[in-house]
Amino acid sequence: MRVSGRALARFAGLVLSIAGTAWCQEASEADTVLRHAIQLHQSGDIAAAISEYRHYLDHVPDNVMARSNLGAALAHAGHFEEAIVEYRKALEMQPGNLPVRLNLALAYYKASDISQAVAELERVLEQGRDRQPVLLLADCYLRLGENKKVIDLLSPLQQATPDDKTMDYLLGTALIRDGQAAPGQLLVDRILRDGDSAEGRLLMGESRLLASDFAGALEEFKKSLAINPQLPGVNGYYGVALAHAGDVPGAEASFRKELASNPNDYSANFQLGKLLKVDENYSESRRCFQRALGLRPHDPAARYQLALLDLEDGQAEQARAKLESLIRENPRNVEAHVSLATVYYRLKRKSDGNQQRAIVLQLNAEKQAAVSGGMAR
Amino acid sequence: MRSALPALLLLPYLAAASDDSACGACHSQQASHFRATPMAHAAETVATCDILKNHPDLQFQEGSYHTQIKREGDRSIITVTRGTETFTVPILWALGQGKAGQTYVFQYDGAMYESRVSFYNTPAALDVTIGDIGTKPQTIVEAAGRRLEPPDAASCVGCHTNGGVSGAMLHVESVVPGVGCQSCHGQVERHANAVRAGNVAAAKLPHLGDLGPEDMAELCGRCHRTWAQVALTGMRGPNTVRFQPYRLTNSKCYDVEDKRIRCTACHDPHGQIETNLASYDSKCTACHSTVLNAKVCSVARDNCVSCHMPKIDLPGAHHKFTDHQIRIARAGEPCPN
Repeated sequence: MRVSGRALARFAGLVLSIAGTAWCQEASEADTVLRHAIQLHQSGDIAAAISEYRHYLDHVPDNVMARSNLGAALAHAGHFEEAIVEYRKALEMQPGNLPVRLNLALAYYKASDISQAVAELERVLEQGRDRQPVLLLADCYLRLGENKKVIDLLSPLQQATPDDKTMDYLLGTALIRDGQAAPGQLLVDRILRDGDSAEGRLLMGESRLLASDFAGALEEFKKSLAINPQLPGVNGYYGVALAHAGDVPGAEASFRKELASNPNDYSANFQLGKLLKVDENYSESRRCFQRALGLRPHDPAARYQLALLDLEDGQAEQARAKLESLIRENPRNVEAHVSLATVYYRLKRKSDGNQQRAIVLQLNAEKQAAVSGGMAR
Repeated sequence: MRSALPALLLLPYLAAASDDSACGACHSQQASHFRATPMAHAAETVATCDILKNHPDLQFQEGSYHTQIKREGDRSIITVTRGTETFTVPILWALGQGKAGQTYVFQYDGAMYESRVSFYNTPAALDVTIGDIGTKPQTIVEAAGRRLEPPDAASCVGCHTNGGVSGAMLHVESVVPGVGCQSCHGQVERHANAVRAGNVAAAKLPHLGDLGPEDMAELCGRCHRTWAQVALTGMRGPNTVRFQPYRLTNSKCYDVEDKRIRCTACHDPHGQIETNLASYDSKCTACHSTVLNAKVCSVARDNCVSCHMPKIDLPGAHHKFTDHQIRIARAGEPCPN
């Protein structure tokens, strides 16, 4: 599930109706401007509505609803950064206004600032567990790769709403991505129980991908695409399966298709970045990894790929900084140690490079000992 | 100075061929030396494969599966039978010259497969391919070979051939068996075109002879496995002796800044592998000399590699690999990681 423009418009409509009743009773000149702004907004003339809201707010700056309406109009026009500013101003005046905070979360979501969207949604949910913010928060967690948080959030609710297919889909995705194939499969079966669905097929494909059944995954993604080619994520996963099948041009086209309709898809950005890196198209590859990192700000995989690009571009010092930072966070990150050794050698820091290699050999020895120990037990 | 004119005139014709004859027009000495090397014959077509020609009926029994590789004219056919089940497929290429082993590649159902059995020179017979040891086939097709995912096929066949891999994909129709000039030197076609056009600047290729030990190990390691590739698999122990750049870079005397320890310090990339062990002594004494105030061996003065680079018998490989992890090897000590 992804939050659509329609959902955003519904929230805007809710706010508009409140604003309409609250403010149409005043007969002042300012109220006339506001009424006109609302009419324009409701009739779909968003640019004119924005102008009228601004005009009104120049004279009545502390009207929370008018400011929120301006935010909604700006978000509707795709000016999410400006919408966020207006929502924030509205919340400074009324911190407890949940519809405005939810709209703010939606604007962050649309602006690809998923972490901020999560922060706002978590505050909304402190006041009550309505379905819409719960599902939106679950979707945000999924985008951040926080599968366990999705499971914790939805598992208690899912039993109470056994026919909620969106919830099944989100929870099923999290379970499968978390490696819990069996309970994930139960939810897939439930989704498919009432007939074939693109969401069900997408989940089946993801499940097969995790089990390294690439041919099977490819078939499931094809079926999902046949049912709903617009389903968010499906082209990205289809691209992954195509890449495994050796169809690199097909995979690239598929990732690009996903990103054309869903630019905030972490996986499509990351996977396209990897393909472009192999093709030595380093500048576009870098942009993809940076977008992926924007979506998951601390993601070690995207940071590692950016470090490798630094190395390819001859920016060894920048690569060093990134790799050292990754190792500080996770001293057992073998990939980072391996690459840091190369970086040190490029920087003529031979003993540091040798030390990194010694660490890798030590980590591999420990890993092998742990496996042998496990087998012996 | 030798004139390049005759070679330039030949280039338009020779460049059309997808082998390395265009390079040989100018670089005749390197090309002719290289053609005689095992690397140049790292893959062969079935029609020209001596091992398959000289062993027209190879057979192997593995549990209930019976594998036969039979010569039929210019073709060799793998047939696997179990009870009444039979699977038959023609071999596409032979990989390796059989010194260690020769493995076969075939196509089936739109995918490339690596044969489950390989030919080993020492017993002059088939046995399980080294990468498949310890596995059990579940189907008759698996008993014939292991399906290679397209990226694996590109990487596997790409190292034994040239011209067949672009965009990380294998293009069977343009594969030229054996390692070729472009395998190491890269864009030889661009180079040849620029030479033909008299564009000296554009003709420039990276001078591989300038590479330091680390870059050289990376280059050779693209097929013989780099330190990073092996380290990232977590593989340890004697199995890694097959991966010479990895082992070499683990040596105590390996120095990323000292060209005396790079791959080409000992091996001529265009020539035959030197089997006279004493011929390597000068490479060791280039560093280990009293003149240079470096450590010298207290046991012997010659045949250094016979002790310091011992041959390791890899189970199942029917071949002893020279361990490139240079060290003081003591009797009874296990092979280091």
